[in-house]
Amino acid sequence: MIRLSGRMRSALIIGGQGIRARKLRTALSMVSIFLGVLAVVVVQAGAEIVRQAALADLELQLGKDGTVQMYFPPTEKGAAAVLETLRGRGDALAQMSTSAIIGEPNTQPVNPGGAPFNDSAQGPAWATEGGGAVSMACDDQGFCRPIDVGPDTGAPRGAAIQLELRVLTGDVRRFIPYQVEAGRWLDFTGSPSMSPRIVVNREAAEGLARHRVPAELHVEGTTANPTPQIVGVVDDGNGQPTAYVWSEDLFNWLPGPAEQAEWVRGSMQVMLAPTAGEVERVLRARLVSAGVADNSVQTHVINVRKNIAEQLKLLRLVFLGLAALVLLIGVAGILNVGLATVGERVEEFALRRAVGTPRTLLAGIVLAETLLTGLFTAALAIGLSAAALRIGVTLLHRPEPFLQNIVFPWQAAVAGVVAGLVAGLLGGLIPAVRAARIPIATVMRA
Amino acid sequence: MTLIELDGITKTLKGQQKPRTILDGVDLTVESGQSVAILGRSGSGKSTLLSVIGLFDRADGGRYLLEGRDITRLPERRAAALRSASFGFVFQRFFLLKHLTAAQNVAMALVNGQGWLPRRRRRAKVMAALEQVQIAHLAKQRPAKLSGGEQQRVAIARALVRDPRVLLADEPTGALDTETGNLVIDALLAATERGCGLILVTHDRDHAAKMARVVRLTDGVLAPVLPEPAAPTVPALPVVHS
Ligand SMILES: Nc1ncnc2c1ncn2[C@@H]1O[C@H](COP(=O)(O)OP(=O)(O)O)[C@@H](O)[C@H]1O
Ligand SMILES: [Mg+2]
Repeated sequence: MIRLSGRMRSALIIGGQGIRARKLRTALSMVSIFLGVLAVVVVQAGAEIVRQAALADLELQLGKDGTVQMYFPPTEKGAAAVLETLRGRGDALAQMSTSAIIGEPNTQPVNPGGAPFNDSAQGPAWATEGGGAVSMACDDQGFCRPIDVGPDTGAPRGAAIQLELRVLTGDVRRFIPYQVEAGRWLDFTGSPSMSPRIVVNREAAEGLARHRVPAELHVEGTTANPTPQIVGVVDDGNGQPTAYVWSEDLFNWLPGPAEQAEWVRGSMQVMLAPTAGEVERVLRARLVSAGVADNSVQTHVINVRKNIAEQLKLLRLVFLGLAALVLLIGVAGILNVGLATVGERVEEFALRRAVGTPRTLLAGIVLAETLLTGLFTAALAIGLSAAALRIGVTLLHRPEPFLQNIVFPWQAAVAGVVAGLVAGLLGGLIPAVRAARIPIATVMRA
Repeated sequence: MTLIELDGITKTLKGQQKPRTILDGVDLTVESGQSVAILGRSGSGKSTLLSVIGLFDRADGGRYLLEGRDITRLPERRAAALRSASFGFVFQRFFLLKHLTAAQNVAMALVNGQGWLPRRRRRAKVMAALEQVQIAHLAKQRPAKLSGGEQQRVAIARALVRDPRVLLADEPTGALDTETGNLVIDALLAATERGCGLILVTHDRDHAAKMARVVRLTDGVLAPVLPEPAAPTVPALPVVHS
């Protein structure tokens, strides 16, 4: 132990003296591998940021990894069994969706079909021959599709907006990480409220703010229009106006049992936490006893991370390959400098061996000097990239929450350190072996 | 006590053309505190012999005992430890590292991965060694600022700093003028008073004469050199002014 630490200390002193005596060479070595290490860091950082962005995006659409989705044929009895089983549960939920209109009764919504509110996405409305109205909604990519807005009631277009209403039996944020931007999220405990509490997404919030519609909620299939309380705004990554409501708050307003509404069973989606295996079994059993064929009940586990990693793998590999090539050129540089240095230090190494320095230690010192050079370079490249990322994010000044939360990915730092060490190792190995092979008798042949 | 015992040491160097036997059965015994001078023509193999004794290289045949221990075939790892602990080397060219101060050059023999001394004890040893060769005041100088004699004395301090059992000096005065050469020889001899053996390779008969024994290497074999009768003194000629 003492011997080892003595060696380490000796190596540190000798290596330090060597680097100090050859600052210019060390700097040249650093220059030669800097670009390569930087390239590796930038590629890793870029890939990681893209991956995180894609992940955040997909998680908002599909759900967190491990979430189990369950599919089954839409039958009234089945839907009833699901609603009953999942009532009050935290680890599993059913989500149903329908179209809803908030605003003055009997007016046409300003965005028929629940289209986004930004003007470019709003298409013209045409009267069709059948007397019904069809609206064209165009999205950001320029795809347009007709939306049936129902028979033309001749109602004036006025102060109402149409949106997608997602009805939840439990807290969906356990499965999908919606960001609460204002107010609060829904409360799925306690007793239901007579005026349904709803949370809207950004797009819906914008529509509500722009069109100042009266608070009256018309949901397909309800006979009376409740007055909703809008309790919060979330970012759900969805460009269409959307609102979320607790099923207990809403189902009171349905004329009969919920499962009798066509949209309830037709749009039912079930999500289960990875830990809810028991619920999954119970649910399956109840569905089967409600007359659903066992083999038609299917589950799917969300694995966004893996999918994205696989998609990005090739791209990352190609860029890393290019970076490695640049690094390799740098290694040739550091190797060149290293060999020249050993050639210059032949006498020093022979002398050090003469006074008893073991050859392994000498080889270790030469290697340690280039490894240190690699580490310094990595630190420099990582620092530079991190600073550039910071400055870039500030300059972009986009209100994207994802960009605001962006940090320099640790994977890129690790890759940089590894690249620096590998370059140091490749560049230092041959000089180290040469240093160890210098015959001591060199000092006698003057 | 017998320090070094060489018994029929042979060494053949594989040159470019045909192998040459440089040492052809060298016998040599050195006692603790004894000084031995080795004379011999250039190329006779004196440095080769020193490099076998100093474990820079191994003999091809024969037997080498150091303080009674057979070290003829020592693995390199243990040879390095022994070079550090038992031998001190002084070369014709001083071989100081020019980026280090005199003190750091001496400390180099302590910072060699063989054991560890804390900074203060290292410093004390370095200063004592510099003191021994009377150049403690030059501790902070770099070699470029030192004269040849001073540089060689730094090298001797480096050889002495670990209190070696044997000092090996290969033509240490070859690059120095007579006066500084004498200083260097005196510094080496002073070490033998503390029980250290000294093997000095030299071309200078006066320096050789200061050693307890003188041997000559010829045709790969060592033979004792008998003390020569003192040369007749020639009276100085009077200086003539024109
Ligand atoms: N590495 C070597 N390879 C081949 N021959 C060598 C080598 N080193 C020395 N010699 C030869 O060995 C002989 C003895 O050299 P050396 O021991 O240096 O003699 P000295 O020190 O007495 O001048 C010389 O002829 C020299 O040319
Ligand atoms: Mg010689």
